[in-house]
Amino acid sequence: MNAGAILTSLVDGLLIGVVYGIAAMGLNLIWGVMRVINLAHGALISLGMFGVYLLFSGLGLNPYLALVLVALMGLLMGILIYAIAITRVINAPYLSTLLATFSINMIVIGLGTAAFTTTPRDTGFSLGNVEVGPLTLQGTRLIAALVTLIVTAILYTFLYRTRTGKYIRAVSNNRSAAELMGIPSSRILALSFGIGTMLAAIAGGLIATFFSFTILSGDVYQQKSFIIGVLGGLGNPLGALVGGLILGVLEGVLPLAMPNTWVPVIEFVLFILILLVKPSGLLGGKK
Amino acid sequence: MAILEVRDIASGYGEVQILWGAHLKLEEKKLTCLVGGNGAGKTTMLRTVMGLIKPLSGTIWFEGKDVSRVPAYTKADMGLVLVPEGRQLFTDMSVYENLEMGASNKRARGKVKDNLEKVYTMFPRLLERQTQKAGTLSGGEQQMLAVARGIMADPIVLMIDELSLGLAPVLVLQLFESLRALRDAGITILLVEQNVHMALAISDYGYVLSEGRSEIEGPARQLIKDKHVREAYLGL
Ligand SMILES: Nc1ncnc2c1ncn2[C@@H]1O[C@H](COP(=O)(O)OP(=O)(O)OP(=O)(O)O)[C@@H](O)[C@H]1O
Ligand SMILES: [Mg+2]
Repeated sequence: MNAGAILTSLVDGLLIGVVYGIAAMGLNLIWGVMRVINLAHGALISLGMFGVYLLFSGLGLNPYLALVLVALMGLLMGILIYAIAITRVINAPYLSTLLATFSINMIVIGLGTAAFTTTPRDTGFSLGNVEVGPLTLQGTRLIAALVTLIVTAILYTFLYRTRTGKYIRAVSNNRSAAELMGIPSSRILALSFGIGTMLAAIAGGLIATFFSFTILSGDVYQQKSFIIGVLGGLGNPLGALVGGLILGVLEGVLPLAMPNTWVPVIEFVLFILILLVKPSGLLGGKK
Repeated sequence: MAILEVRDIASGYGEVQILWGAHLKLEEKKLTCLVGGNGAGKTTMLRTVMGLIKPLSGTIWFEGKDVSRVPAYTKADMGLVLVPEGRQLFTDMSVYENLEMGASNKRARGKVKDNLEKVYTMFPRLLERQTQKAGTLSGGEQQMLAVARGIMADPIVLMIDELSLGLAPVLVLQLFESLRALRDAGITILLVEQNVHMALAISDYGYVLSEGRSEIEGPARQLIKDKHVREAYLGL
C-alpha cells in the first residue's frame, strides 16, 4: 500500500465525516433544545436522499439547486411534524417522545417502501475527480464537505447573532424563563425541530450525490449520529462537526487495516466506552 | 384604581390545591409586598398571576382587563413581568445576552438602548461582566442580573420573588434602594419576601398570605405595628 492511497483514504474519510457531522448536528439540535431523541432522524435523512434524487432524475434539476428545495421542504416538514405530533408529548416522559418519533419513523419508512420499494437508487451524478498532488478526490464529496461547512457557519451565525437564534438558545437553556420574557416557546420549539429536520434532509441530499441508497439507508446515518453525539457531546453543534470528522477518519483508515465489516464493531465499542468513561461526550457539552 | 387585581383566586399543582381564595390589589406606582411563611403559597400566587399555572377559579385583572387565562408570554407583551424565584437566568448565555432576552417582549424591543443604560447605571458591576456567562456570576451578581433582566422587559408591573434570599445585608440594602428608585420612576412593584421586616419597611402596602389565604392586609407602616404580624412573622 502506498502513501498516496493512505492519504486518499484519510482525506476521503474527512470529507465524508463532515457530512456525517451535519446529520449529527440535526439530531443534536433537537436533543439540545427540547430533550427529544428523534428516532425519525434516519427516515428523514432518507427522504432528503429521495428528494434530491427525484428532483434530479425526474425533473432534471441541478442536484445542488434541488438540495436548496429539499432543505426548505425539510424545514417545513419538521415544523409540521412538531405541530402534529411532538407538541402533544413534549412535556411527557422520555418514553412518549421516543415512541412518537419512532412512529413517525415507521410511517415514513412504510410509505417510502410502498412508493419506492427497497431497490437501491443512484442519482448517477458525477463531477469527475480532482487531483491534488498524490490525492485523487471525488468532486461530489469535495462539494458536499464544502456545502456542509457553509451550512454550519450559517447555523452558527444564526444561533449566536440573530434574535430568533438567541431565542432558540434561551428556550434550550431555560424554557419557562424564556416564556416569562415573552418568548413564545412552543413556536421556537417547532422552528428548532424544523431546523433539525432540515439538517437531516441536507445530509441525506448530499449523501445521495455520491452513494446509492434505499428508503432504509438513513438508519445507518442515524446510528452514526448517535455515535457522533457521544463523541462530540450532545447539545453542541461544533462538537457534532468534530465528532463527524473523527468518525469519518476512522472509517477512512480502519478498512486499510481490517475487513470492512469490523468498522461498525469498532465504532460501537468506542460509543459504549465513551458512555462509560465520559457520558457528557469527549468534548464536554451538556450533561 | 388598582392596576393589578387578583380576586378570590384558587390554584395549585395537579391534584394539590395551594391557594384557597386569595386576593391582592396593586395600586399604580406603589410598592406592595406579599409576605408569609414558607409554603404559604406566595410563589404559587405569582406563577398563577403570570399565567404559568392556570387558576382553578377566581379572576386576575390587569389594567381593567380580565387576563386570567392569558399565557405567560403574552403577559410579558402587556407589561406584566416576573423576576422568578431562584433567578432562572439563562446560565449558558452571556450577561449581555440575558439582558437582551429580557427585552424580548413587544413593548421592550424598541427600548433596549434606554433600558440598558438604566440597568448599567443601576448595576455597574453588570457592565464590567457583560461578556461573562451568567452561570459563572456570583450569587449576588446573579440576583442583580435577574432584577436587571426584569427591568429590560420595560415592566408596567414588576413582580419580584425573593429578592434578598442568600445575599449579604449590604447588597440587600442596595437592591431595596434600587426598588424604591424604580417605584419613584413610575413602575408598580410587587415584592415577595422572606425578610418580612425589611420588606414592610420599604413598602407602601402589605399583604400577609397564610396557608393559601389572604390573612391580613394594610398599609405597611401599620402592619409593622400589628400585634399578630409582630408575633408570627417578626418574632417579636
Ligand atoms: N410543582 C409543584 N408541585 C406540587 N406542589 C408544589 C409545587 N410547587 C410548590 N408546591 C407546594 O405548594 C406549596 C406552596 O409553595 P410556594 O412555593 O407557593 O410557597 P412560598 O410561599 O413561595 O414558600 P417559600 O417562602 O418557601 O418560597 C408548598 O407546600 C409546596 O410544597
Ligand atoms: Mg416562594
